[in-house]
Amino acid sequence: MSLLKLENITKRFGGLIAVNKVSLEISKGEFVGIVGPNGSGKTTLFNVISGVYFPEEGRVIFDGQDITTLQPYKRAPLGIGRTFQIPRPFASATVRENVAVGAMFGTLSGKVSVDESLEIADKTIERVRLQEHKDKPAGALTPVEKKLMEIARALAMKPKLLLMDEAMAGMHPNDIDQMVAFIKQIAVEEKIAIVSMVEHIMRAVVGMAEKVIVLHQGSKIVDAPTKEALEDPKVVEVYLGHPPEE
Amino acid sequence: MKKEITKYYPLIPVFTAYLFLFLVGKNISGMWQLVAMLLFYCAMGQAFNIFLGMTGYVDFGYVAFMGVGTYGMALAITNLAHIEGLGIGIIIIGFILALLMSTLLSMAVGAVALRLRGAYFAIATIGVNEGFRFLIEGARIWNGSEGLIFTAQLNQILGREAASSLMTYWADIMVLFIAALAAFVTLFYMRSKIGYALTALREDEDAAKVMGINVTKYKITAFITSACFAGLVGATSWALKTPYVFPPEVFEIHYTIEAIIIVLLGGAGTLLGPVVGGLIYGISKYYLSIFMPGFQLLIFAPIIIIIIVLFPEGVVGMLKSRTKGSVLARFII
Repeated sequence: MSLLKLENITKRFGGLIAVNKVSLEISKGEFVGIVGPNGSGKTTLFNVISGVYFPEEGRVIFDGQDITTLQPYKRAPLGIGRTFQIPRPFASATVRENVAVGAMFGTLSGKVSVDESLEIADKTIERVRLQEHKDKPAGALTPVEKKLMEIARALAMKPKLLLMDEAMAGMHPNDIDQMVAFIKQIAVEEKIAIVSMVEHIMRAVVGMAEKVIVLHQGSKIVDAPTKEALEDPKVVEVYLGHPPEE
Repeated sequence: MKKEITKYYPLIPVFTAYLFLFLVGKNISGMWQLVAMLLFYCAMGQAFNIFLGMTGYVDFGYVAFMGVGTYGMALAITNLAHIEGLGIGIIIIGFILALLMSTLLSMAVGAVALRLRGAYFAIATIGVNEGFRFLIEGARIWNGSEGLIFTAQLNQILGREAASSLMTYWADIMVLFIAALAAFVTLFYMRSKIGYALTALREDEDAAKVMGINVTKYKITAFITSACFAGLVGATSWALKTPYVFPPEVFEIHYTIEAIIIVLLGGAGTLLGPVVGGLIYGISKYYLSIFMPGFQLLIFAPIIIIIIVLFPEGVVGMLKSRTKGSVLARFII
């Protein structure tokens, strides 16, 4: 059974159709890359999945439950975690407190105490190797550290599905490789399905995704295993334009 | 168990400050009036901080909760004084009524205004106190603009002597207890899930939502708690201390502004902040108006601007980051 299923999702902003009849399925523990140029509807799609927007048409089914119009704060405990394109730490709180918030509110039982959450936070922070910074305010971290912190915060929620919005943007290629290896390892250990959204850092997708979905102007144009998808002429066209006429 | 106790260490400086104020007022003659004023400012700051400091939302209509609290106490005294044998019970009923009225008003205001964010929330709340004032005056509710005067009833309930010591002494002691209780509740919130949720939503409401935080629930919790304390401060400082109430006096936006200044001076969202802010504000206001009557605002405004510019996080916010890592850090939050 699929973990996440989108059926014919359409999201409009006034006259603009940001996402146009997109259907897709993600299985448990799967790595999926969502690729598409700027403005292709990737972030909107993420926002529909995490509940920031409700779609005009279509259904979102998570773990067998219809969550199309479920409030975002009720989705997180079901197991949907996300990171943001531009990290959004709770800046004045320490790294430890940030991560603890994930454990406190983002887990299904909802009965994790403050002390337990802080313990979970300590463990999770060690996994992303931020233990040196754990008592710093999150606002004082470097951009890369903030991304790691966001991943830790999402992991503390024990998600079944982790949505990563441009997790590698702005990183050094070596860091990207490390990050990819790291995320992969955690996902396998914790059996988390990961949907990673990428604009142009194909390195991140190639190294991680089993399947790639390509969006273009709000519509899904390709949904195939990674290698196949990236060699698809439609994808090449979206990114590089028409091949020259002979 | 030991860990549980260390959690409450930050109350030590707060309670020490209140104890110090009490001792100064009690032992140095002529100081009680100043101490009473300072306690009022600290209590108001401590109450407002639970909402303004912890959520980052600015409620310009905050004084309305103090106003309805005052009316709660006033109504209890004026309407129940003729019943024999209730005695001090009337004061207790007055507190309950004050709590009830401020809770109801905060629920009504919160249900509408808390849907808005940032500046929109602030603007929406500006009208609350004025609206309430005109409602009372215009619709002639609770004796309209003539207000309620209940000195006689208070004398009747408690006897002349007890009533006078209530007005000049015990009401201030009650304010002190309300301030201390508000500080305790603030720390309790900080140490529990509520505090974490409020910090998260203050920093980034959307991120908080997708992390599973029911932001509306926590905002309303903070709003109602803060309003309840405002109601209690009104009921004591404005009803028991001065047994009369007139709509323009208790719905005066001036007090909201003072509360905002106190919270920001001391450090929004810190536990000790309202005490420090209340003391700085109250002492400078008091002495400036004695030594430079007429000029106090001219001097006072720059002082506030300088403090805010030097310590954007408030005095306690600055102390907090300075003491980070030292032994003192455990006490200053």
